[in-house]
Amino acid sequence: MINVYASDSFNERASKLLDWDLAPEVITSLMCVIIIIILTIIIGCQATYHRKHHPYKKTKGLLYLGEFGVTYFDNMVEDMMGPKFKGFGGYIMIIAVYLFLAFIFGLTGLPSPMTNLAVPLTFGLSTFVMIHATSFKFKGWRYFKRYIDPNPVFLPINLISMWSPLISLTCRLFGNAISGWVLMSIVYYALESLSDMIFGGVLAAGLSSIWIAPFIAPALHCYFDLFAGFIQTTVFIFYSQIMIGREGPEDAEEKLSLEGGH
Amino acid sequence: MDAALCAAIAIFATFPSAIGEAWVCTVAINGMSRNPDMYSKLRTSLILSCSLVETTAIYSFVIAILVLFVG
Repeated sequence: MINVYASDSFNERASKLLDWDLAPEVITSLMCVIIIIILTIIIGCQATYHRKHHPYKKTKGLLYLGEFGVTYFDNMVEDMMGPKFKGFGGYIMIIAVYLFLAFIFGLTGLPSPMTNLAVPLTFGLSTFVMIHATSFKFKGWRYFKRYIDPNPVFLPINLISMWSPLISLTCRLFGNAISGWVLMSIVYYALESLSDMIFGGVLAAGLSSIWIAPFIAPALHCYFDLFAGFIQTTVFIFYSQIMIGREGPEDAEEKLSLEGGH
Repeated sequence: MDAALCAAIAIFATFPSAIGEAWVCTVAINGMSRNPDMYSKLRTSLILSCSLVETTAIYSFVIAILVLFVG
């Protein structure tokens, strides 16, 4: 396989870390989590200090960013899922932050965690479990009615269609990450060969292949890592919110209007 | 030779996806021109819908890559 991306030696070293058979994407996933933990600890300490010493002043810098993020996600969750899901903002926020960071990690040249099928599958399973658990919590044993809904003849079709959110969420994230990574590998290989051909006679073997790629690759990184990462994060959290919010309880007002507005 | 043929057939599925995205963009731009106040809401919906429509094209790309490099 064409694998002249910088991650080759990283792959070898990561696989042998601690004598375990670890995939390199697990190591980069751990790095993302460590970055999130460090940011959280800094913002938490700053918030405690700010609340104790000057509680009525405006926040600045990283603290303002944290406050803005929490307010934004809380409002978005309340808008999209209704008032019964008030505490959900935290769950959606951590998923959004981790997904965005995981897609952006490809900028460093190390393999992004999303290129391993296990990571998008975990996120898909998380949403899948939340959908069914929410439905069971708000409806109790009437949860099983969704499989028999128009007619018991539809049971096999409903059983298959319950897996479609899982497959679509997983394959969307994984497909975008893998397609970006493969295309970038091919482009890097081509540019390195071109640079070798042009500068091969003049410079040493290791130094002749690095002169053309830095001018063309950033534009591709901008699309495949930044833009695609942002869009896929947005799509994932919107889709999750809508599917989970659908399972929530019906409003009293909606029920009245359905019954003909008595 | 077999792998290349399978990958070529799989990539055929990107054609309807491109037509679908063009349709979505047409309707969105139509709406934006008729109602300039709704520009930002329509733009958000446009980007979201484009990424949902191109999902099947991404599935077919992943299958082509798997066939070429793994199978």
